[in-house]
Amino acid sequence: MAAETTRNFEALEAQAQTLMSVFTKAGYEAVAPTILQPADVFLDVIGESLRARTYVFTDPDGAELCLRPDLTVPTCRLHLARHADPATPARYCYSGAAFRFQPQGADAAHPREFRQAGIERFGDVEREAAEAEIVSRVISAVEKAGLKDWSLRLGDLGLFSSILDVAGLTPSWKKRLDDAFLKPQAFRDSLKSFANGTGPARLSVPDALLSSLKRDNQTASEAAVAAYLEEKAIELIGTRTLAAITEHLIGIAESRDEKPLSRAAVDLIARYVGISGPARTAGAKIAELVNGAPSGSGAALETYDRRIALLANAGIDLDRVTFSAEFGRTMAYYTGLVFEVRVQTLGPQSPVVTGGRYDALMRAAGAGVDVAAVGAAVHTERLLAAIRGAAP
Amino acid sequence: MSRLTLAIPSKGRLMEQTTDMFARAGLVVRKVGHARGYRGEIEGLPDVDVAYVSSSEISDALKAGSIHLGITGEDLIRENISDAETRIGFLQKLGFGFADVVVAVPDCWIDVSTVADLEDIAMPFRRLHGRWPRVATKYMNLTRRFFASKGFGDYRIVESAGATEGAPAAGTAELIVDITTTGETLRANGLRILDDGVMLKSQANLFASNIAAWTPELRSLSNRIAESLGAFPSQTADGK
Repeated sequence: MAAETTRNFEALEAQAQTLMSVFTKAGYEAVAPTILQPADVFLDVIGESLRARTYVFTDPDGAELCLRPDLTVPTCRLHLARHADPATPARYCYSGAAFRFQPQGADAAHPREFRQAGIERFGDVEREAAEAEIVSRVISAVEKAGLKDWSLRLGDLGLFSSILDVAGLTPSWKKRLDDAFLKPQAFRDSLKSFANGTGPARLSVPDALLSSLKRDNQTASEAAVAAYLEEKAIELIGTRTLAAITEHLIGIAESRDEKPLSRAAVDLIARYVGISGPARTAGAKIAELVNGAPSGSGAALETYDRRIALLANAGIDLDRVTFSAEFGRTMAYYTGLVFEVRVQTLGPQSPVVTGGRYDALMRAAGAGVDVAAVGAAVHTERLLAAIRGAAP
Repeated sequence: MSRLTLAIPSKGRLMEQTTDMFARAGLVVRKVGHARGYRGEIEGLPDVDVAYVSSSEISDALKAGSIHLGITGEDLIRENISDAETRIGFLQKLGFGFADVVVAVPDCWIDVSTVADLEDIAMPFRRLHGRWPRVATKYMNLTRRFFASKGFGDYRIVESAGATEGAPAAGTAELIVDITTTGETLRANGLRILDDGVMLKSQANLFASNIAAWTPELRSLSNRIAESLGAFPSQTADGK
């Protein structure tokens, strides 16, 4: 893409200053993480799919680096470098370039090189309060920059987990469904096969071997697996241990004996996933599900209601807010609340702001533990286009 | 009339099989000038320039549009060109150079037979070893696309320059993605193909670059070559 005009450059600079002044006045410390980042952390968190969208390269020393695809992970690393205790409360803001490969070719709404301005909060104990603060702060910043017509879309990746608790599932079913939820394309199929009782694994391992494995006798189980490999003249190669293989086989044997997912649980999940609409009424729909369920648990609903109330208190017009249970399933590293600010003229594929809660990210960045973390980033080129009232 | 550039593999079995097949189709390819040179011509088609180029460079040249036609493996085209469907014309399968691109795991992983099973073992592996399972391959793009289509993301690619089959036993990767024709090399290295682990059944093709400079005359010349090759399927099919 050609270099931008000076006029456009200056308009983006001025806009970034406006956003940053809102953030710094609210007590967010301005930071400037490095553009070159180790690829490791990103690949670990986002996975190999990252390579499809990121400029990953090897430097002359053989280290794998990338041009940062966002500023959230770099800000986490900066926080970890500063604080021995990763849970130390902190608030940061930034404005800088980020880079993404555009497989369909770059265009104005999907540039390869764009500027992100954003805020991140770490270590907050009051979770919903921190979330409401991030959402309302970033909205007040884009309004200050001149944005008038916007809508806010919410999702909550943690809520699904709570719904599974309500459904009264065993831990292994819960884990399987939690994993499946994050893979929307395969989810319907998985749900169907779970209900039909077809287990996830169909192996060539004889039933007799599977049945002989016992969790409470790891040594004997490993010996049985070793004997089977010996008999089949299969050599044990590679880094994966006999213990790990045995452990997994025991898990398979256990899940084989498990009852299929109940009809009621499947219905509950399908109804939850279908919830989408104004944020005010979505709460009532969730309440209906929770109350109709065998073992009632109000915690998930309380979180939802408290968050909505806090947003209203912070001055967010709830008429502009929608909730979708499905929203956020394909977003890289979020673990709880997810949100985006949309503008009619740019369409649903080009949100002006995205953000959410990502408690697990700090662990992946090297903290060793999960740390409460929530943040938001403004796509500044889109914001400018939206304010100018034209498609970019 | 402008000239048509056709690139042919410059060495190995792929070159021999290409030359044989062209001859059977009545297209006699000859080197021009020095026998070790890299330019050639086709008898009776004076408007065709033949260039002898390595297989991987043929896919790059097709991608860039610097040649009109090229003969190479589908695996290289799919790996090196992310928008192959629009940039490249798949003119004719040639019936040789067969190779399957497959996911293979150590045979001793008796608890793993599908990609879904890989997903089950990834997290426990990470807990024990502090990293995701590594996949050794030179097909980074094919691997990424294939696993993404299966919803599997908990792995890391280790780029492999050669002898990929040896990586699991050497401890430099847990599993591999590589090409195989008979599976013999995989078996010899204690590896087994996953039940749903065949990503691509590749063979040599006559490819056209859609972004090269084409004229109606060059199109009809290209069609003539493709039709001649299509009428004489390979008799030296190696394997399946």
